[in-house]
Amino acid sequence: MDIGLPKRVIEIEPASLPVPEPAPILEPSVEPLVDPDPQRTPAPTEPR
Amino acid sequence: MRTAPSPSRSLPIEREIEPILAWRSWTLTGRRDGGGLLLRPVTAGSRPWRPQEVTQATCRLAWSHEAPNPDCSCGLHATRELDTLRKTRCPAVLGRVALWGRVIEHEHGYRARFAYPQRLRLICQFCFWQESAASSRPDVVAWYARDLLVPMCVRHLGVAEENGMRPRRILPAGIVDLRLRETYAVDALAI
Repeated sequence: MDIGLPKRVIEIEPASLPVPEPAPILEPSVEPLVDPDPQRTPAPTEPR
Repeated sequence: MRTAPSPSRSLPIEREIEPILAWRSWTLTGRRDGGGLLLRPVTAGSRPWRPQEVTQATCRLAWSHEAPNPDCSCGLHATRELDTLRKTRCPAVLGRVALWGRVIEHEHGYRARFAYPQRLRLICQFCFWQESAASSRPDVVAWYARDLLVPMCVRHLGVAEENGMRPRRILPAGIVDLRLRETYAVDALAI
């Protein structure tokens, strides 16, 4: 790709950088669901 | 704005506060699921443009000068006119980029110290070469070895397959295009 001969030098100091800020890392608002331990799950009782 | 003689090649130096917007193309790499997208310069061996990070120019002659240097070809290249990019090798993505820091203006483009894309769009490189950017609408993105992603229209995918370029996987272009813009946090390029 030929962009030709240089014409001038420009020193650019933008007031704000044209780069997106990284997205914030959000803490989960609720605790993650945990699978119930099948061994601790009470066994269904027999109907009397 | 101030004008002063340049120490090298007597180029005038001007000072500005607004970044320059120019055209640029890249190749694209990513995983087979369309994730991990990364813009890479079309020149082999150059460093990728990482998402949400300022890209900074470097030069192999860094021991002698900072990029860009008026007496060298180093710097982040971009063009004034879109059609100038039709001569580049294997473009997969077109975009508008912001350039700042030291920018050397050339007859047909720029070389900059810092850059970041502002708008991006996938293109079918074959339609782009043969016709224009406006007619270059990819339908799919072909995934090849070394994670190379090549957006293509259906017609040129057929041509590629007939010539032995059978992709390992085919992804929908719309999804990859959206994911690319989300990855770099930029807007769509409307042409």
